[in-house]
Amino acid sequence: MQIIEIKFSILVLALILAAGSKSYCQNNRITEKNIKFIEYPGFPNGHSTWGDIGYNQKNNSVYIGVTNHADSVGLYEYNIRKDKMVLKGFIGDLANLRGYQWQGKIHTKIVAGPDGKVYFATDGGESREEYLMEHPHGYAGGFIMQWNPDNNRLINLGNGLQYESFKDIDLDPENGNIYAVSYPQVHFLIYNPEKNLLRDLGRLGSSHVPRVIFTDNWGNCYYVDWRQRLVMYDKIAGKLVFAKESLPAFPGTPGAKIITGLISFAKDRKNNIIYLMTYGAKMLAFHPQKSGIGKIEDLGGVLPPSMTDPLWGPYCPNLNLGDNGKLYYVVGGHGNFSKENKTLLMEFDLQTKEYKIIFDFPLSLVSEVTGSDVKDAQGNLYFAARKNVAVSNAIDNGEGGTKGEISKPVMIIFNPGKEIRK
Amino acid sequence: MKNIIAKYLIIALSGISIPVHAQYEFFSPPGAFAIEVSLSNTDQKRLPMYRNAISSLKVIGDNIIGGTTASEGLSPFIFVASISRQELIDTLDINKIVPGQKSVQSGFCKWKDNILIAGTIPLDKGDGHLIRIEIDAENKIKSKDLGTPVPGEGIFSLTSNTRDNMLFGISFPSGFFFSYDLESGKSHIYKDISPKENELEQLRQFALDPGSYLSRSLIIDNNGLVYGSMPVNKLFCFNQANESFKILDYALPDVWGRSALGQVDSWAKSDDHRLYGGNAGDGQLFVLDTEKMKVKNLGKPAMMPRLRGLTFGRDGKLYGITGALPGYTHLFSYSEEDGFHDFGNPEFPMKILGIEAGILWRGFQIGTIASSEDGKYIVMGEDEALSQLLIFTVEAK
Repeated sequence: MQIIEIKFSILVLALILAAGSKSYCQNNRITEKNIKFIEYPGFPNGHSTWGDIGYNQKNNSVYIGVTNHADSVGLYEYNIRKDKMVLKGFIGDLANLRGYQWQGKIHTKIVAGPDGKVYFATDGGESREEYLMEHPHGYAGGFIMQWNPDNNRLINLGNGLQYESFKDIDLDPENGNIYAVSYPQVHFLIYNPEKNLLRDLGRLGSSHVPRVIFTDNWGNCYYVDWRQRLVMYDKIAGKLVFAKESLPAFPGTPGAKIITGLISFAKDRKNNIIYLMTYGAKMLAFHPQKSGIGKIEDLGGVLPPSMTDPLWGPYCPNLNLGDNGKLYYVVGGHGNFSKENKTLLMEFDLQTKEYKIIFDFPLSLVSEVTGSDVKDAQGNLYFAARKNVAVSNAIDNGEGGTKGEISKPVMIIFNPGKEIRK
Repeated sequence: MKNIIAKYLIIALSGISIPVHAQYEFFSPPGAFAIEVSLSNTDQKRLPMYRNAISSLKVIGDNIIGGTTASEGLSPFIFVASISRQELIDTLDINKIVPGQKSVQSGFCKWKDNILIAGTIPLDKGDGHLIRIEIDAENKIKSKDLGTPVPGEGIFSLTSNTRDNMLFGISFPSGFFFSYDLESGKSHIYKDISPKENELEQLRQFALDPGSYLSRSLIIDNNGLVYGSMPVNKLFCFNQANESFKILDYALPDVWGRSALGQVDSWAKSDDHRLYGGNAGDGQLFVLDTEKMKVKNLGKPAMMPRLRGLTFGRDGKLYGITGALPGYTHLFSYSEEDGFHDFGNPEFPMKILGIEAGILWRGFQIGTIASSEDGKYIVMGEDEALSQLLIFTVEAK
């Protein structure tokens, strides 16, 4: 791992570029001791993780879903105090799914309720699942599931829309309602587990499903429509409320990125700010309100203009907020790398608006990172990551697949404020 | 091993990134486009959410005329969009013409001077109305209430005999057949084909409601005979000359054990006067020989039930939409020469003010389809909480 820290004030970068040479501003404050990588035991063919990571305050654990992207999804619990990653089982076995109810992955975030029960929902695995179009074995549809850490039991709370996957869910901690978005038909759903009541509020998008929904401090839920306008489920009004204007986008942002909306978020609960990233690589600060859609503040790009052309190009399906008030995220993945064959752990100072590269990772260490807003009480930030490994007889199943390499999932723990390993 | 490689190649191509990674191609012919007709919270002329499911469609000249179905407690619209301008031109809240209506799903019947007639379904136990619609020189919608042909009932389906200024329809929910004289405004109700108690009992056992067993479409052949379906899985023919009904010996095509689902979803008449029909029950296309009064099952274009719309393009092919919830719609074509072709979901570019690149619009639930008068354009209307129009050009012969 090459550990470098580069301060990218735009002015300095401009000078560097003008001089035609590289200059690195070393900062020893964050070192390799601030980051560690945790493997997932007991699942040799596990090949990826998605947005499926979340923190459970009640038992101080992180939950992750690891998949072979075909028919096995392992549910992992990382016990923070014991520093131990444990495979709790495969969801097909834990939830008594039959063969025809196979699930390709968990794409949703993993959310914990105040009682410590953990929720997520399943996905067929992108468009191969589309029952009535493509997959020869059909797809029965995704399920909302509840994991109870107290008794290690997984309860299947049922389907959303028949034959449809779930791309994301979130939880209203006040009333236990689960918000969800379906794939591929982009329906916004609200499920009341107590009454087993599912409301379908209709289709809000079209050709590419926005992957992220999120809630605010009051339990209102947010999504986007095809114009990349925020859509709020207003709890008080009991209905969807649409923003009049689209979220900011760089000029020339392709429609395919606009229609896909948001890619990641991180919450500053104390100050009631939710930081958002769009597929078009904009960083935004959203100031939610109890009722009605709050103000949006444009923070600029995921990367500074000197590091990317086009500005809307960087790919960053992850975001965390450090206890130091700075944003941390890893740029690159899915064949879209802002620095050739590297992923970049970035720091964005919300006060100074300065960008820093904390680490640049070779793809053999980190090839892509997902996960939004996963932080424990000690300020550790968690990311669901992948790395590229050589294809072998033992490992021949994963994303990537070019040049004899294939993906292997690994969890990242990063604490910008303190060392977490010797 | 080859299959495994193929499988993981597919997986490798999939993911959450842009561009969209599908394992199939959408139907996206050159020149196709979508028109955004529905949007919440905007100053632009658009239909509001939950009131825009496009359930009736007609094309006259450059104008696409649509009628919508609203969600519970809300009223529907009539709208006009322009093919050449690719935009919504005018909307009319039906509530302003006839209060207390929820749906315009009868389709539009063309009368003289490009006047259109449609029927409504009321919100609750009110009366459905016939409404007259004209698009003026400024492309504004002018509409007039023509009254209620069947008191206490909505209008489920409608067809017209323009030569005799007659309308024929099916009422909702009772399924009465009615005629309406456009000149005199007089109507006549016939109860011959409405379901009898024993049939209703059978339908109840299949948890079917009137919307699932009454004839969703009617058609008139060149001899002036009106055709439609009736429970259970039958076709009827109405002869206006002697006001008689004939129940055809040959039932709708069915899949064994599923005949209770038989319902004509759509009709289309070819240039050589043949009547093509779509059966909702299992999505079969059939052709009715009106001389022999015989149905020929042409098969299923896709695996799903429903066949909600049929129309001919200028290439002489029959275009249709099959499939609905819990699956989604496929566009298909049929000709005697080539048989069926399944195009799958259409995905067309949609221009949006402020989004310079535009976006791609994929049609999932499509409720209606219609051709321009010259068969050059085929227009499809979505059936969603926020529904749009999808338009493509048919190649000339």
